[in-house]
Amino acid sequence: MANEDMPDFSNVKSGASSTATRIYEVVSGDSLSKIAKREYGDANKWKQIFEANRDLIKDPNKIFPGQKLKIPAL
Amino acid sequence: MNKALYGIGTALLLALALVACSKKEAAPVATQPAAVAVTGVTLGKAIGADKRVTAPTDSFAPHDTIYAAVETQGSGSATLKAKWTYHRGDKVAVVNENSQTVVATGPAVTEFHVSKPDGWPTGDYQVEVYLNDASTGVHKFVVK
Repeated sequence: MANEDMPDFSNVKSGASSTATRIYEVVSGDSLSKIAKREYGDANKWKQIFEANRDLIKDPNKIFPGQKLKIPAL
Repeated sequence: MNKALYGIGTALLLALALVACSKKEAAPVATQPAAVAVTGVTLGKAIGADKRVTAPTDSFAPHDTIYAAVETQGSGSATLKAKWTYHRGDKVAVVNENSQTVVATGPAVTEFHVSKPDGWPTGDYQVEVYLNDASTGVHKFVVK
């Protein structure tokens, strides 16, 4: 209860990006286009993620929770 | 004469052999790349395409998006975290935490940003940047 008179920060929005390649861990319900939309703001950029992870992904429609994908800097 | 030349030649060969044997082999130099290290954190209201803050400041308005650009050197995988907090007297509220795992191949910039649709409460804030769960420093700013 120590923070009961403190402001509410529950609606804070956050994000991040990098000039280095980032690592994203796939969660249930993800698709490459969803990840591309979230990471780049453009679902059509899923191919860049696919190309960067050809060693892990054989079929772009099949990614699995727990897979750690490289998210290249664009 | 031939014997004398033969003797001189043999002596020269022996001398060369001694010099060659006395030279020490150069020790192999370790060429492992330096691990990722945080070299700077800059706060501001906007970033450029290079992820760097375009106009550094530590004073913000309630409707600003606040950026922290973290510069790193070195190569390899590292997890960067930005922990944003609000301070009033001795009370602290966590505003947000965000982690990013990066694979760097040299100097890099990773930016973290936060915004609040209904505006930041005025007051004192800070962002603490962690590298692999170890704090690299605290950076204070105000909203007014």
